[in-house]
This record gives sequence, structure tokens and C-alpha cells, in this order.
Amino acid sequence: MDNIIEVRQLNKHYKDTHAVKDVNFDIKQGEIFGFLGPNGAGKSTTINMICTMLAPSSGSIMINGYDVSRQKNKVRESIGIIFQENTLDEKLTAGENLMLHCKFYNVPKEKRQERIQEVLEIVDLVESKKKKVETFSGGMKRRLEIARGLLHYPKVLFLDEPTVGLDPQTRAHIWEYILRLKRKEGITMFLTTHYLDEAEISDRIAIMDHGEIITIDSPAQLKKQLGGDIIELSTKNNEQALEEMHRNISDAEITQQDNMIQLKVADSDDFISGFIKELTVPITHLNIRRPTLNDVFLAFTGRNIQHGDH
Amino acid sequence: MEGIFAIWQRDVTKFFRDRARLFGSFTMPILFLLIFGGGLSGTMEGLISGSIEGGGEFQYIQFVFPGIVAMTLLMTSVFSSLSIIEDRDFGYMKEILVSPVSRVNIAVGKMLGASTVACLQGMMMFLLIPFLGIRYSVLSLLQVLPFMFLLACALSSVGLLIASFLKSTQGFQLIVQILVMPMVFLSGALFPVNNMPGWMDIIVKINPVTYGVDVMKKVMIDIDSLSPMIREAMGLNLTLFGRSITVAEEVLFMLVFTTVLVLLATLSFRRSNA
Repeated sequence: MDNIIEVRQLNKHYKDTHAVKDVNFDIKQGEIFGFLGPNGAGKSTTINMICTMLAPSSGSIMINGYDVSRQKNKVRESIGIIFQENTLDEKLTAGENLMLHCKFYNVPKEKRQERIQEVLEIVDLVESKKKKVETFSGGMKRRLEIARGLLHYPKVLFLDEPTVGLDPQTRAHIWEYILRLKRKEGITMFLTTHYLDEAEISDRIAIMDHGEIITIDSPAQLKKQLGGDIIELSTKNNEQALEEMHRNISDAEITQQDNMIQLKVADSDDFISGFIKELTVPITHLNIRRPTLNDVFLAFTGRNIQHGDH
Repeated sequence: MEGIFAIWQRDVTKFFRDRARLFGSFTMPILFLLIFGGGLSGTMEGLISGSIEGGGEFQYIQFVFPGIVAMTLLMTSVFSSLSIIEDRDFGYMKEILVSPVSRVNIAVGKMLGASTVACLQGMMMFLLIPFLGIRYSVLSLLQVLPFMFLLACALSSVGLLIASFLKSTQGFQLIVQILVMPMVFLSGALFPVNNMPGWMDIIVKINPVTYGVDVMKKVMIDIDSLSPMIREAMGLNLTLFGRSITVAEEVLFMLVFTTVLVLLATLSFRRSNA
């Protein structure tokens, strides 16, 4: 498959900070690319450079075969952006907002009504076409923005925190729409989110910290890198249990958090039967789980994604 | 090109939706009409008829009305251009800036939008004419429209340039005080600016309102029927470098002024890039 985005040796310097350091990555046509990192990691700076909003200090970005610094307009026609903040005109109706977008992006006149209808159907807003945006709920506004981002048939859709500030039910709905889009249109998606469970839908994930890309891989591979399963347990006497574990177990990584002992093992099925037999301290709580992206994120950045945030 | 139209259309549509703004912007010009038309006209007319032969028929309000329309244009143009700051605050500017619409078209679209809104407001002032006891020919009112629009363009581009520099709407009141008011007073809109001190005269001569108002008066007031002395007294013979300035020159001045300021605003957009 062809690369739709190619980023090479991208750098951004500000007066006294080096916000983005030698960033390289490719995004394949049709993939969902998750872009994660703690706040201040350089994510927004990178995205702004890719979206033609900010000039890089050095390096190159190609989107859909166009150079971002020299062919800005071609790039702008090739991408759709759903910003973190609301960028709708609330005094206008949904239909008017969409029509303006068609005009900004030179959508052919005879196709405008048809496309507006089409994108409104994708996000289930056909009935609200004539209503002013200020009467919309948060979720409806988000959906309308997604619809608007699709109007000019972009090759890449940038979704910057598309579900931030929405209730869980609406969030789930938004993802449904996004996945529906991927299936139907095969649009490449560049996604940032703070909800790591939502990043699971990505084909590949890049984690950025301190201006650098630390790792890029599929969610499954990333979790595999952490090594197998996680067993969390608490016992009647954690100290004694820990002592026993350190004495008897060699094939697990043992850590303690608050009242919980955490064991990272290659395969919990093999491990658990022998482990429970050997432990003399009664277990009060036991939980076995696969590593989540939260564990991945924590392992790579040393931070929880929600920390130091907002 | 359609980008210009879309940006223009958005601002004009919103103008018609916002009734409060529609009527709120009338209060200032009406206040001025009352003060200058009602309050000052007796004095001015007394002065003129006392000192000038045949001055008895002079109507000050006829002189000042085009000035107050020009003032409406000034206020509305500048304030409408400042909507660009609002767009930035509410995020809509991002939607425009990431689109393929060129920066210069964004500036032109915004400028034309503000000018149209200003002109509509100015035209609404015409509705007051019957209540003021003055008469203008319908033809002259139609003829003055293109000049009103041109003046509005020049003034909107002033607003646009300021807006491209301002980071928030907080500087708003300050702008009005240090810029808009002097532009009204030093333009001949409300009183003649014939015998100003030298430095003030320079401001008068670089002020686009001066030329706009002058053209509007030349079109709306039947100048030929007035005696030369009244023309002189009311400052209806604007001169530049010692000779009378023609309508064509005034139009040219406003065109150049608008173009230069729009280009400067475009550069400022391009630099800020957000």
C-alpha cells in the first residue's frame, strides 16, 4: 500500500525549546493512525505542522504526494480536520455551515446539495439540517463537524480529541460513525485522544514524549512488547506474600502499588496454577488481565496519560 | 474567487439575523442628528445668514446629514471588520484558515462583508430623511451609493488591519476612542475643516473619511445652487496642495488606500498563520 503521509526529519524550534525533534513516520493509505502522548509532548505542534497551520523549522512533510510547505493549497484540499474545539458558526444552521464549507473547498456546484445530504446521513443529522447550530447538543455539534470535515472527500481526516467533553454514550456513538466511515470510504484517519481505550481502534499507534516519537506499532504488538499478562492480587498479608514470591518466583516481574501486588508474566495460564498452590498466604482478591494501552503508555512515558492534564 | 463570496455571504447573512445589532447601531447616528441637526443648526444657520448675503436659505442639516451617514459607515465598517477577532475567539477562523481559500481572498471577503453591512446601515439612515424636513433627489441618493460603498471599503480595510494585529476584543474601546472619533471630527463630516492648524490639516488630508464625505456632499447637495461664499464657509471646496480636488481623484485615493490596507492585512494574516 502507498504512503499517504510521509514525515521526514521534522523539527520545530521555539526560542528556548526544541518542541519537535527529528520526527519520522509514514502513514499508509486507509489506516487509522493513533497519535498519543502526554500534554506538552509536542503532539499539537506536530499536527499543526502537518495541517499547514505552522511552518516547520526543518524537515519535510508530504501528504497525498504534495509538499506541505510548498503546495499548501493542494494539501489543504486533501485533508479534513476535526478540531478539538468547536469551530462551527453557531448563528447559522447546520446546512448553511456545510454549504459554506463546500464553497471554501470548491466542491462542484451541482454536487453540493447531494453531498450535504450524504454527510448528514452518515452522522444521522438529516432532520436537523435547517436548525441553528446553537440549539444543538455537544454530541450533535461534534457529529456535524465530522460531517463537515468529510464534505470535500478528503484523503486524510485529522481527528484531534474528537470525543473530548462528551458523555460516554455519545462517545461510543461518535466512534461508531468514525468506524462506519473507515469501512465505507476507506479514508485514512489521523487520530489523537486522551481516552486510551478509544485508541484501540487504531491500526498503528505512535507514542510521542519530549518531542520525540518513542515507539510506533500496532496496539497488539505494543501490548505484546510489555510481555504477556498482568496478574493483580491482594492477600491477607502482602509483605509475607511478597517475600515468598521473591523467594520462589523467577519468571515474573513483581511490583507493588498501594494494596495491590502486580505480577507481569509471559503466560498467565501456565503460571497461575503453580503459583496459587505455592503461596501460603490467603488471597483476598485476584484479577488476571491482558495489558491495556494504559499499561503500554505508562511503560513508555512513565506517566499516566490523564496526569498533569487540562 | 468563490471563497470571497462565501466569506462575504456569511457576514451579510449574520447581519440580517442579528436584530439587536441592526437597531442598536442606529442610536449613535440619531443622537448626532439630534445634537448637530437640532441643537447646532440654529447657531450655524444664524451665523451664515448673518454674515453672508443670501445665506437665509441655507439649511445646516442638509450639510450635516451626509456627514452623519458617513459616520454611520465609519462606525459599522470598523466594528464589522473587528468580527474577525470574534471569529478567532469562537474558533471559526480556524475553519477558514485551514481551507484552500487564499489569505488575500479571506481579507477581501471580510472587507467586502463589512462594507456591505455598513452600506446597508447607511442606506437605512435614508429612511430618516422625511422626518428631518430636508429633501434630496431620489437620483442623488442612488448616485451616492457606489461612493458610500467605496468609502465603506476604505474604512473596513482600516478595521481589518487593526483586527489582524489585535489579539482580543479588549482593545476595542480604545480603538474607538483614539481612532474612530478623530476620524469623524477631522473629516468635515460634521463641521467645516477649512481653517485647521497645519498638523491637523495633515490628518484631515490623509483621512479617507474626508474624501468620502466630500464626494457624498458633492453628489447629495446641489452645490451649484449655493452661493460661492456659503460653499467656502461650509468647506465644500476641498483643496489638496493648493488646488481643488476632483471626484475622480478622491475615488482614486480611496481605491489606493483600500488596496494598500487590504494587502497589509493579508501580510499580517500570513505572518500570524493561525
